[in-house]
Amino acid sequence: MSYSLQRRGFLKGALAAGALVPLAACAGGGDPEETPTDAATTEETTSQETTSEETAPTDSNNPFGLEVPSEVEAIIFNGGYGIAYAEFAGGIVEKTHDGVTVSVSPTTQVAQELQPRFTGGNPPDVIDNAGAGKIGLGAIVDQLEDLNEVVDAPNLEGTPIRDTLYAGALEPGIVSGKQVALNYVLTVFGLWYSASLFEENGWTPPKTWDEALELGAKAKEAGKYLFLWGLEAADYYGEMAITSAIKEGGHEVRTALDNLEPDCWSHPAIQDVLTKIKECVDNGYFKPGGSGTQFTAAQASWSNAQEALLYPSGAWIENEMKEQTAEDFQMTGTPVPTVSTSSALPFEAIHSAADEPYIVPSQGANVAGGKEFMRAMLSQEAAANFAETILSPTIVKDTIPEDAFGSTALASQISMLGGAGDDIFTWRFNAYYGMGPDHVQAWNSFLDGQLDVAAMTQALQDVTDRVANDDAIEKYDPVQ
Amino acid sequence: MTTESTTKVEGGGDIPAAPAAGPIPANPPKRRRGGRWTFDKVSFMAVFLGVPLIIYLGLVIYPFIQAVHYSFTNWRGFEPISQADYVWFDNYIYLFNDPKFMQALGNNILLAIFLPLITIILALVLAIVITMGGPSHGNVRGIKGAGFYRVVSFFPYVIPGIVIGFMWRLLLDPSAGFVNGILTAIGLEQFENFAWLGDARTAMPVSMFVIIWGFVGFYMLLFIAAIKAVPAEIYEAVRIDGAGRFVTAVRVTVPLIRDNIQTAYIYMGIMAMDAFIYMSALNPRGGPQFTTLVMSQELFNTAFGGNNLWGRASAMGVVLAGVTLAFAAVVFLVNRLTGGKDTVKY
Repeated sequence: MSYSLQRRGFLKGALAAGALVPLAACAGGGDPEETPTDAATTEETTSQETTSEETAPTDSNNPFGLEVPSEVEAIIFNGGYGIAYAEFAGGIVEKTHDGVTVSVSPTTQVAQELQPRFTGGNPPDVIDNAGAGKIGLGAIVDQLEDLNEVVDAPNLEGTPIRDTLYAGALEPGIVSGKQVALNYVLTVFGLWYSASLFEENGWTPPKTWDEALELGAKAKEAGKYLFLWGLEAADYYGEMAITSAIKEGGHEVRTALDNLEPDCWSHPAIQDVLTKIKECVDNGYFKPGGSGTQFTAAQASWSNAQEALLYPSGAWIENEMKEQTAEDFQMTGTPVPTVSTSSALPFEAIHSAADEPYIVPSQGANVAGGKEFMRAMLSQEAAANFAETILSPTIVKDTIPEDAFGSTALASQISMLGGAGDDIFTWRFNAYYGMGPDHVQAWNSFLDGQLDVAAMTQALQDVTDRVANDDAIEKYDPVQ
Repeated sequence: MTTESTTKVEGGGDIPAAPAAGPIPANPPKRRRGGRWTFDKVSFMAVFLGVPLIIYLGLVIYPFIQAVHYSFTNWRGFEPISQADYVWFDNYIYLFNDPKFMQALGNNILLAIFLPLITIILALVLAIVITMGGPSHGNVRGIKGAGFYRVVSFFPYVIPGIVIGFMWRLLLDPSAGFVNGILTAIGLEQFENFAWLGDARTAMPVSMFVIIWGFVGFYMLLFIAAIKAVPAEIYEAVRIDGAGRFVTAVRVTVPLIRDNIQTAYIYMGIMAMDAFIYMSALNPRGGPQFTTLVMSQELFNTAFGGNNLWGRASAMGVVLAGVTLAFAAVVFLVNRLTGGKDTVKY
């Protein structure tokens, strides 16, 4: 039964494009060996244009042969960014192609909602596969379009999309050599603080862990804590620790973690960072009780009650806490501390990654529509709209003006990106292999003081080993 | 003797076929087979036997067989099942060697031991107090205001489980919660910022408390109904014989409602084997050092937590079902061995 449905899905996809070419493209996309080159893509597009007579527009305004009229279905994760920005992009598609309708629907549980549709062979045309309930890319990699075709197409303004993106923005979406996802939002990770509070007290954000400990002592005098955390987001401290360790020990720390190497958590740089964090815990610089506090409630006692000075997070924190931030807080980000002043990467190095992975299933009824939706998302107009409404940059360059729409957080992100230069890195092992819940677990216990450094190292190593030794989980190609 | 036998024959003959009173002994086999297939009989069987059977087969048995089938594969859930490979018992072997799953199983067993026990004892005590804790003269009746207590203690059961979970999570919030507010106000300073659900020593007992809080009222009502069904004469006789309230409760009431207790025990045990809603509301990530992680949570994580291992998740489901059935069997067996078969009759 599932077979016939699948075949029907294929036929629908073929009809929508008005030619048999997409079928060949689908079949080709399934083979990880055969990554379509730029030339092949162009050739495909051309042949499609000549063979499909009923698809009217053959110009660069319709590079994927989107049929008019047709319907495009987009399922968007409704998290911190909402779905208004995707509806905006949908509007652009409808405006560009008169007769095409785009339906944009929200979801908070991507995998749960879409699993039956994938199995049944009728997935939506484009999906924002994000949030805690996202579909593991490893489980569906064979069922996704190679989005190089989108990246090589011209954007709505006429420039090839590839030339408009930040360097490295495409990497997180590559699995087994195939561009299965386009991660849309550029996230800058750092340590966030209230610039006004720091100025008032004459504090400066710490550049090393020793400075952080000094600041912790000063915070204690002022009746505040250095850090606080919330149950579900305890692994934000894991993000901070990994970033700090990579800056201290260099990229070998990152590759060891990403490649699930044995004893990777015992690397001296990681050990040094864990030891420093443990010192903060032991000195009482962490607000106790975080392991039983809902995370946004905890974050509010940083951003609103100002009980703690620093909070490690991604740049979404400003938007997330918008309603619960003290007046004139002046939320500002800074790179996380290093262990020594002679670290392998400079203090300015940051963890920044494109997130919010958009995917286009090969069996969607309107594959061309899904791609056209992505092309609209990557237009200057849609990207600028995202930056302005969400106060976060997308992977599209040059969409944020000098004044950063008056947001201190966004301005600091831009200056962090600028200061880092080429020292921008990211990793994928924890998200890709779904280690989040296990890391949350370990970090809660560590920040609570229930685990010492050795036990914490063991706990994290157990999580890594568990995945490394599990043959049911296929691994991505080793990271360099 | 003769009168007795006549009445029996008359009674027996009257009910099945009144007009054919004569040929009863002539063709008894035909009678036993149920007679002709009338439309009445066929439609009755179709509606009351056929339909439920089809629904049961389609919605209960088939999915269960399907789950067992999936548990032998490495299905990831997002491709047609025909594309998955058979790995046979690999999933099961993995589960029984996986410390995390075994811990979850252990947590479920803890719940299955303590939740029914505590809930039922509490519910029984309350039910007995409400029905027969009143004055020792006059009719056997409950304490003053029994009706009020009965309604009030049923309230928690009316609230959905997920709401109970979130409500208690807020009450137990370390710095802003009601519980720690009270404790610190009465001078117990050590509970300032104490994370009841974040400490490995307290997370499980506190979670159990919340679940019991949610269920005790329901089982109390169940037992009240059972106790009310016991004829009042028995209690009067017991009282005339000089038995006190405690002896009456333990030696008379409990044996008389034993079947209800067994049913309640099994229901509560099945709940404990699941406990998904309460546990994921109270401690969404499985609790400190996974001390409150239950199998259903781990099943959910395996299916939806990033790796989408549906074959393995199905195997967890099968183990969960097996353990639940085993629990029910143990309760039946214990009840039988302790003399539950020779039920006390009234």
